[in-house]
Amino acid sequence: MAEMVLTPPLRADGREPNFLQKFGHAFVHGDIFTKLSFVVWGLGYIGHGQLIKALLVTLVQGLGLYFLGTSGIPALKKFSTLGTVQMEMQFNPLTLKNEVNNYDNSFAILLLSVIALVVIVTLIAAAMLVVQSNYALQAQKAAGKKPNNFRQDITMYLNEKFYVTLLTLPVLGVVVFTIVPLFILIAVAFTNYDQQHMPPAALFTWVGLANFAALFGGQSLTVTFSYAFGRVLGWTLVWAFFATFTTFFGGVFLAMLINNKKTKCQKLWRTLFMVTIAVPQFVTLLLVRNFFSDAGIFNTLMTNAGVTDFLKTIGLLGQNMNHIPFLTDQHWAKFMIVLINIWVGVPYQMIIATGVLMNIPGDMLEASTIDGASPWQSFIHIKLPYLFSVQGPALVTDFVKNVNNFNVIYLLTQDVYITKNQALASSSAKEVDLLVTWLFRLTQEQYNYKMAAVIGIMVFIICAVFTLVCFRFLNKKEATFS
Amino acid sequence: MKKLISRRNFLAAMGTVAAAGVLTACGGSSSGTASSAAASSTAASAAESWGDVKLTMWGAEEDQTMLREMADAFIEQNADKGNVTIEIGVQSESSTKDTVLADPESAADVFAFADDQLNELVNAGALQEILLNPDDIKSRNLPGSVDAATLNDKLYAYPMTADNGYFLYYDASVLTAEDVQSMDTMLEKAAAAGKKFMMSVNDAWYIYSFYAGAGLVATLAEDGINTVCNWNEAPGADVTQAILDITANPGFKSGADADIVSAIKDGSCCAAISGTWNANTAEGAWGEGYAATKLPTYTLNGEQVQMGSFSGYKLVGVNPHSANVGVAMMLADFITNEDNQIKRFNDRKLGPSNINANATEAVQSAPAIAALAEQSSYATLQRVGANYWNSAASLGEILVSGDTQGKTTQQLVDNAVAGITAPVAQ
Repeated sequence: MAEMVLTPPLRADGREPNFLQKFGHAFVHGDIFTKLSFVVWGLGYIGHGQLIKALLVTLVQGLGLYFLGTSGIPALKKFSTLGTVQMEMQFNPLTLKNEVNNYDNSFAILLLSVIALVVIVTLIAAAMLVVQSNYALQAQKAAGKKPNNFRQDITMYLNEKFYVTLLTLPVLGVVVFTIVPLFILIAVAFTNYDQQHMPPAALFTWVGLANFAALFGGQSLTVTFSYAFGRVLGWTLVWAFFATFTTFFGGVFLAMLINNKKTKCQKLWRTLFMVTIAVPQFVTLLLVRNFFSDAGIFNTLMTNAGVTDFLKTIGLLGQNMNHIPFLTDQHWAKFMIVLINIWVGVPYQMIIATGVLMNIPGDMLEASTIDGASPWQSFIHIKLPYLFSVQGPALVTDFVKNVNNFNVIYLLTQDVYITKNQALASSSAKEVDLLVTWLFRLTQEQYNYKMAAVIGIMVFIICAVFTLVCFRFLNKKEATFS
Repeated sequence: MKKLISRRNFLAAMGTVAAAGVLTACGGSSSGTASSAAASSTAASAAESWGDVKLTMWGAEEDQTMLREMADAFIEQNADKGNVTIEIGVQSESSTKDTVLADPESAADVFAFADDQLNELVNAGALQEILLNPDDIKSRNLPGSVDAATLNDKLYAYPMTADNGYFLYYDASVLTAEDVQSMDTMLEKAAAAGKKFMMSVNDAWYIYSFYAGAGLVATLAEDGINTVCNWNEAPGADVTQAILDITANPGFKSGADADIVSAIKDGSCCAAISGTWNANTAEGAWGEGYAATKLPTYTLNGEQVQMGSFSGYKLVGVNPHSANVGVAMMLADFITNEDNQIKRFNDRKLGPSNINANATEAVQSAPAIAALAEQSSYATLQRVGANYWNSAASLGEILVSGDTQGKTTQQLVDNAVAGITAPVAQ
């Protein structure tokens, strides 16, 4: 009889009961200790004879409740207004110190509230787990088995349940470094947090959907916003396309070249290209920016070699120019940015392509050679489809990464490129800007955090939709290939 | 496998967005209660003994050794009052605002900054009003520098240098003092010598000089955020034409600061508009010929007009969130007093804002500082909003290229003013 009650019943559809159902069953059918453990985690374990565990879980619960009591709940109480008491300071010439009132810091309230919410959800979920675990102990006892002692528990988490031990830190990391900041970012989009409302000296508060209305409604961020947005979005997509595919094919060809049987010192070549990875990207980019500046070393070389004059003769360069505007003319700059990106990005693609190409089944290539396929044909019909099928998802990721490729664009053009397009200049945009670099200048440099948050959410939605669509498409294709 | 990839990608995308969040998150996480509690608990202590005081001070990288010496002198001078320790950090004065505003509470107690950042720092509550002997500070510094440190009749910083503006350098072996009085003569002589007069016309900071010289205005609006600009009113279009004429002159070349430096070094540049930071380069390259003076006049509608300029001062501010505001003010006061301004000039060639220090013979005989003093009567404080920079720079870039894109000079300034005066995004 007891066994029947102690095992949670199967669901009507025959599947395993879910977390909540298991908890419900455990709580209803548990003994007094199991029920009490929902409120004070340790009580259940004391009742079931696991004292060290009881101490540890109560400590964790105590810490959680202590945080909630001292900072979490006070912050949550002010969460609806994000604070009402503005900071006031008074210098006291006697003590030589500023006397400050007990003011509210909107950002601290927001931060602590978000953490408090996460802590509350975690505590409740953990309490449910504790109840289930106590119920299991109860069941063991009822079955006449002795519950694990602490040492046995530890051994279990190092052996059959090692995955739990392994995953604890990453999960904590994701919660602390990704989920909490993400919630705060989303929350900021609904406030008026900007230069005029900057804590601790000033308060900010909720404004609902006003920021989204400002972006899409009549009053835009800048006077020529829609024009600049169109131009910048256009170049962003063109850039992402070229940046992704030039580095991809560059990497593939380089890998094939190095892996070719006739190539000597393969390892040397491969190492040489890897060295570029070892140098931090921003150092490379800033150096390259100086190389290609109007009075830079490359321009001097070109002039001395007569290339500048040659370009003038064939009409690629204006007659009154005495340098090549590598990074200061929009067409030259766009071309150079893609070119420099190839140089920076190809080594990574080369490594990946090397790996993928080595994995192509040798018999497939052999068979094609016997059938009289030229190297070009085997590339087009075997290697390339294979590369695409394996690297498809990576290419989509790369495309999204390039849409947000802040480093290359910002480091190569900031302080160097000045637009001649006055309509773009009115929106602080340049022809070479990506959405991210433009919006960085518009928002972060002017401390317009609320709009930065709104735009961050929009960029995320665009990228997410693009990624989802591409993966759907890719998944179908992959199914047909294999 | 597929699931894993898509989730990782999802996380990567989340991460990108979250990065912006993290940046904002650094903005102000702090404990308001802690600092107020600290303030009230120590309120009983008497002012004559400071107790243990720990201060941090930010200054330019090149100033670190000098600042350390000044800090040590301050510690020694006040050894009887309290146990002071001072930590010194590197912070370029041109971007102090960005670091301070990222988190005012964790910024240094005392920091140096360029005067154009004063408004934003005050608006963000990141500058302490100077309440210890403000009248003394006002009386001992040049009036321009005091204005630069004042907002709404309140003094917010200690003037440190009066040399952050721009003026004209020239090589006296190519050009005479007479030649450099007017742009036309200077360009003519430079071209005849096969050399160039250089200036960053495509830089919003410098192009201001032409319009300001013609009596036109670009300044902060009442709200302290937006910019008021009337460059599109008469004679703005003619000024634009005058700039076009100058940039087309064979004796002229526009270039960024780094380009000017390399041109001075290789001898192709015989005169340039720049600031004190390039004085050593020019002195090294031109030797005996090195000379400096106010900006020249240029021809506007057949008449000579004196070029204006932005004046620039470097100031030392105190963080109101400092636990030891009073001692911090005394330290800021100390490092900007007469002796230390003279030391600053001797060690680093920085022009003093202190009246007495400025009047010393050594300072007066430094060509760059004399030139700045000469230019100061045509200079105005740099008070412009965020939307000034890109539009003014774009106008300059068009004028440098010489290609007006089929627009009249009036249309060019109209467009520029539309961008400059556009309300800053709120």
